[in-house]
Amino acid sequence: MVMQLSAKQSLHLPRIAELIRVEALSDREKVFEFKFDDGKELGQMPGQFVEISIFGVGEAPISVTSSPTHKGSFELAVRATGSVTNKLHTLDKGAKVGIRGPFGNGFPIQTLKGKDILFVAGGIGLFPLRSLINYVLDNRKDFGEVNTLFGCRSPQERLFIGQLAEWNSCKDMCFLETVDRCADDSWSGNVGVITTLFPKVSFDPAKTYAIVVGPPIMYRFVIAECLKKGLADDHIIMSLERRMKCGVGKCGHCQINGLYCCQEGPVFTYAQVKSLKEAV
Amino acid sequence: MQNRVISKKDLAGFVDDLIKTKAAGEVIGIKAKDDKFNFGTLKNAAELRLDYDIALLPPKKYFFPQIETVLKYEFGATPKVEPVVDDKAMCLVGVHPFDIRGILLFDAVYGGANPDANLLMKRRNSTIIGVDCLTPNPKSFAASMGTAVTDEGFDLMLTDIGGDYFVTVGTTKGDSLIKKAKTRDATPADQEKRDKVRKDTLKKYQVTLKMKADEIPALLDANWESKVFNDKAATCFSCGSCVMVCPTCVCFDVQDDPALNLKGGERYRRWDGCMLTEFAKVASGENFREHKEQRFRHRMYRKGKYLLERYKYLGCVGCGRCAIACLAQIASPAETFNLIKEGK
Amino acid sequence: MKPRVAFFDFTGCEGCQLEVLNFNLEIVDLIGAVDIVEFREASSDHSDEYDIAFIEGSQTTDRDVERIQKIRERAKILVALGACSCTGGVNALKNRFSMEENLKVVYGDSAKLYTTIPTRPTSAYVKVDAFIHGCPPNRNEVIRLVKCLLTGKKFELYHDPVCVECKLAENICAFERGEFCLGPVTRGGCNAVCVTGGRKCWGCRAPVDEPNVNSEKELLARYGLTVDDMLMQLKIFNGALEVSK
Ligand SMILES: Cc1cc2nc3c(=O)[nH]c(=O)nc-3n(C[C@H](O)[C@H](O)[C@H](O)COP(=O)(O)OP(=O)(O)OC[C@H]3O[C@@H](n4cnc5c(N)ncnc54)[C@H](O)[C@@H]3O)c2cc1C
Ligand code: SF4
Ligand code: SF4
Ligand code: SF4
Ligand code: SF4
Ligand code: SF4
Ligand code: FES
Repeated sequence: MVMQLSAKQSLHLPRIAELIRVEALSDREKVFEFKFDDGKELGQMPGQFVEISIFGVGEAPISVTSSPTHKGSFELAVRATGSVTNKLHTLDKGAKVGIRGPFGNGFPIQTLKGKDILFVAGGIGLFPLRSLINYVLDNRKDFGEVNTLFGCRSPQERLFIGQLAEWNSCKDMCFLETVDRCADDSWSGNVGVITTLFPKVSFDPAKTYAIVVGPPIMYRFVIAECLKKGLADDHIIMSLERRMKCGVGKCGHCQINGLYCCQEGPVFTYAQVKSLKEAV
Repeated sequence: MQNRVISKKDLAGFVDDLIKTKAAGEVIGIKAKDDKFNFGTLKNAAELRLDYDIALLPPKKYFFPQIETVLKYEFGATPKVEPVVDDKAMCLVGVHPFDIRGILLFDAVYGGANPDANLLMKRRNSTIIGVDCLTPNPKSFAASMGTAVTDEGFDLMLTDIGGDYFVTVGTTKGDSLIKKAKTRDATPADQEKRDKVRKDTLKKYQVTLKMKADEIPALLDANWESKVFNDKAATCFSCGSCVMVCPTCVCFDVQDDPALNLKGGERYRRWDGCMLTEFAKVASGENFREHKEQRFRHRMYRKGKYLLERYKYLGCVGCGRCAIACLAQIASPAETFNLIKEGK
Repeated sequence: MKPRVAFFDFTGCEGCQLEVLNFNLEIVDLIGAVDIVEFREASSDHSDEYDIAFIEGSQTTDRDVERIQKIRERAKILVALGACSCTGGVNALKNRFSMEENLKVVYGDSAKLYTTIPTRPTSAYVKVDAFIHGCPPNRNEVIRLVKCLLTGKKFELYHDPVCVECKLAENICAFERGEFCLGPVTRGGCNAVCVTGGRKCWGCRAPVDEPNVNSEKELLARYGLTVDDMLMQLKIFNGALEVSK
């Protein structure tokens, strides 16, 4: 038993952070930039998440969407779905929130070093993945070939449009985008589900890791496509969602069989997921 | 440390002294509640019912209260946030060995990598005086789980050896407490009596597991698809009684409660459990254990496998509370494990 | 600005009104967080706007229906308060149960006794934003709703069955005392007050989302109880039911 504990070490105690920038990404999504009052860094790894508190309303787990290579502040991109996320959407610059974390394992940077990478993001799956993509671009020489595929339902649901344009013109990686459907002529790019982008990229399955984040339905199709391309089970990496309350392996809500998504996850390899009966 | 023997009268005197002097903090003991028993604050030793079968709620409630405030805050330009940790000293008298094993599981879960101040600080300031259970509840199967007797997790352990109590001293804290009481040194003959009493009670457990407890994980591994889970869960109310009364259920929910004057509020945690329908449901509407069969199976795996693999303590101590509480008569892990073993 | 709150009274039973009166005073006295702009007085319906309109009782006449529609137009949030408004009372509680085909088994022939009651829940006529179940409704839930409104939190129905809070309260189960209880199939949020008070739960807060009705029936049978025993108890808290019998 730990004997030197004090109340100040309460697992529930958040640090206060100030909202320094809000930007709408779409009707339902906004990106929020925060800075800790004590001036410290969040110190996250790509793929980790925080528990954000709005006092009087509650807490919610949100991935950090900014790369740790960006110093001085961090960004959370949030879809308004329930109490905490909707309340967050009403906040303006200068508002204070509580932040606990970073939590979770994050993407396996060490494993990825020197390897080729295929990023596959569907919809708001881009939020956690953006952190890693920017991390890789900022440390470009540590990684091999990089291909990035992004798909969303319609041109109106595209997120981080400025960033997408940057990636599009970026010489350091191949970036392809598609929308599931488009009723008008507002979009001249690819149309079709994300798997239709696969024939357009070539990669060496032995050297490549696929990192896939998106809605549950997308996983099934994208994983099948990756396997078809010859990727091994443990070269397919995904981030899973579960109900979370504590983020620190106590409350039990995030269990996937015997694992706690907030501790051993949220990032898992497909090899792990296959052995977990409750994972997908 | 020297084990001791204390007469029933002197034990009462010892407890009354603990209450009067508060030497080990507030004294909590097992008391009658109508024709059942439950832990509560002791006013005097006469209230103590060491001959009980089972407490309605396990004593974990003193370390992990049903509802516990963990933060207080004031709103404002910069919110003021204070952690709340109640760590008053407590002395629990009359805790059964299997409930002690439950508390040890809590120490493992709430200690470890992310130590939880709320639980551990209460534990640090607590004293546990156990008592061997000589009158097990008919639904209990602690003997099969190896938890009917414990050699760790207590400061003092009492065993009724006829006229007197044998006092097994577990810690120096226990030692210095019992030194203040009128006792005599235990002889090898006393110890033999204690061991015989313990051995005899093992036979009083009416529910038995048809396998060794350490075979349960492998049994579950091989039977994910077993229809026992479906058969049993068919009558499940998803009422959560089984997880609410369980000494090894560790799960909680967290909620905010703002004050009506909107000057601030508090955040509290409350017992929650995987048998309840919303436990694994997320805001998008997806429920990762949507069906009661899935929830029922998950609980059985928690009890028989997951917790053991994670924390080295079995997730079920065989107290039988869930079996007593379950109105559908399906909650006993022993029964499910036995049915699977028998290939039903 | 403080939210403007109004209470409107339709056909209900005395107990509910008393409880409401109690928590009105509590809100006014303790908080001052809201402005009570209307209090039950039906005749003074002037063209006000309300942030929250609490509706007590069920709508039984055409005039009632007209009136509730007018209130709806002026209310940002309309709350059904108490069993009568939420479910139409015991009558509709039973109807909701019987939507689960199984419950016919529970009620057996008695079921048709209740189909003659014309009372319908408020939600049959207008959109209801929140339900505060119970007979009488629990004042803590009214306060919780007001807090949600003030802080912008979504007000969610308490979803666990009464048994959860009953266990937290360390009660001895009614079944262990040889009585029956509807706790396992009833929506909690009342702190299991009735069991804690030495009685049992007769389901005043409406069923949970997925009541296991067959199981409740088996349970009653095991304790030698019949569905009629249960209905006898249901009558106690609802006068309307008595009249219909
Ligand atoms: C590891 C992880 C990373 C996430 N990253 C993002 C992100 O970057 N951007 C984003 O918009 N959303 C993200 N989500 C989803 C986000 O957590 C939920 O949308 C959010 O919790 C909803 O909270 P609420 O209070 O608004 O909704 P309510 O419906 O009011 O939910 C109440 C509470 O239930 C729990 N809960 C409900 N839904 C979820 C959920 N989907 N996941 C976990 N807990 C839940 C939370 O504790 C929440 O506060 C992430 C989820 C996880 C698990
Ligand atoms: S699962 Fe049942 S028998 Fe096992 S410890 Fe919990 S309540 Fe006791
Ligand atoms: S059995 Fe369920 S409620 Fe109990 S500790 Fe495990 S997950 Fe939590
Ligand atoms: S197993 Fe029994 S006690 Fe547990 S939720 Fe189901 S009916 Fe309730
Ligand atoms: S008394 Fe009723 S509510 Fe309480 S546990 Fe028993 S059945 Fe459930
Ligand atoms: S215990 Fe049952 S009858 Fe009593 S208030 Fe709660 S739901 Fe209603
Ligand atoms: S979120 Fe609480 S255990 Fe994972």
